[in-house]
Amino acid sequence: MTSPVVSWSVRILAPVVSVLGLWYLAIFFSGLPAFVIPRPERVLEVLWVDHALILEHLWATLEVAAVGFLWANIVGIGLAILFDLLPFTRHLLMPAAITLRNVPYIALISVLMLAFGDSILSKTAIVALSGFFPVLVNTLQGLRSADEVQLDRMRILNASWWQTFSQVRLPYALPAIVAAQEITGSSSIIVAIAAEWMISSTGLGYLINNAMQNYRGDRVYAVALLATALSFLIYSFVSWLGRRLDWRADTRR
Amino acid sequence: MASPVSIRGVSRQFGATTALQETSLEVAAGEFIALVGPSGCGKTTLLRIVADLVAPSTGEVRIGSDSAAEARRKRLLGLVSQRPAVLPWKRAIDDVRFTQKIAGRVGFDAGAVLRQFGLEGHEGKRARQLSGGMLQRVNIASAMAHDPSVLLMDEPFSALDEMKREEIGVWFDGELAQRPKTVLFVTHHIDEAVMLADKLLVFSPAPGRVVEIVPVPVPRPRPPAFRQDPRFVAIAGHVRGLLMHKSDAA
Repeated sequence: MTSPVVSWSVRILAPVVSVLGLWYLAIFFSGLPAFVIPRPERVLEVLWVDHALILEHLWATLEVAAVGFLWANIVGIGLAILFDLLPFTRHLLMPAAITLRNVPYIALISVLMLAFGDSILSKTAIVALSGFFPVLVNTLQGLRSADEVQLDRMRILNASWWQTFSQVRLPYALPAIVAAQEITGSSSIIVAIAAEWMISSTGLGYLINNAMQNYRGDRVYAVALLATALSFLIYSFVSWLGRRLDWRADTRR
Repeated sequence: MASPVSIRGVSRQFGATTALQETSLEVAAGEFIALVGPSGCGKTTLLRIVADLVAPSTGEVRIGSDSAAEARRKRLLGLVSQRPAVLPWKRAIDDVRFTQKIAGRVGFDAGAVLRQFGLEGHEGKRARQLSGGMLQRVNIASAMAHDPSVLLMDEPFSALDEMKREEIGVWFDGELAQRPKTVLFVTHHIDEAVMLADKLLVFSPAPGRVVEIVPVPVPRPRPPAFRQDPRFVAIAGHVRGLLMHKSDAA
């Protein structure tokens, strides 16, 4: 029998041990210099020593990611509702959405850079463009997952479109909408960093670019570690939130 | 409150297939009509036409002085589906109140209805915490919560086991005696239909057509012992004969 404390320690320690193990093995066997593959303790040291600088750029990245994430949801959920309300708009706009989805982000970033320069607008736009599609698809599918008998019940009561939408279809769609956030939430950070790497003079992406130019591999690793942890934290938070909001779970509140 | 229902030459085509051949029927206020027949005989289609969920290809339905659409807009109809339409995230009592909120009319006190429906102490439970029989009772309570004049029921007890089914049938018969409704009740269960209904509308297999209207001239509510009554046995046997004969011919 394992106590909860033991099992939790294992769940937290096991990934840490395996990542560190692989890291040291890579250093040992690759023979690469320390600025290409620094030791983990050096990376932690950089995180500590440069924390003021990193924190400042972290805020810039978070701002881009958060605003872009918000727009991804407004556009994704908004389009899904529009498609549901006026089905012909779906035929009109969905091909454009799919096309946009398949354009390489690098190309989109370049175009947005040309249009808006190095501004919060160009960076949040790329985060929103890369993130809205999973939200749109999941919301559409979620809105259609409402049970037919519930919809009949609303029709027989002569419910308005809004009543049916807000009281039946949206709650049914909620688990799917939250599931989309697991994708869009963590990719927002990644895409924000990529955009900053290409066009910005602020943010973690810029910091990586700058560190590269100064042969500061240790700083690249420090930022990467932070960004990974951040992305993972967002993912964990969203999936926790998803379980809380899911009416399919037995919620006794 | 109960309204008469008049079905006048109603039929329905779905593409090339005839789901329901021309059917006419006068239902008095407070009468209980069972629609029996094999699967795909159009009984559910007829119910959904009365509910204004499906438009008839020919003919019309009048509920009192209203068309089906007007009756639906006035929230005179109640629908009990085969699968419960209770919202999974709502407590039983909130689900009953939800009907009243949407309909804009409080037919009965939600708590009192649930108590009468034998659900005292279960008002705060959600769908998945209720047994099949209890959930179906919440479903019926929610369907009646705005006091509709016509109750449309599509195989409401078919998910229940035989014992529960008989029990809930007797209970429902008693409830109707308290608050009379005009009822259209789709079932493929002959004994259930004979127990509950004033008249049975017996359908032939597809294309759906009413072959006979069989009256059950015994006052309602009927005690469980009615099942052993010679009249019950004779009527059920007659209906069974009609259906057997028809499905042989098909």
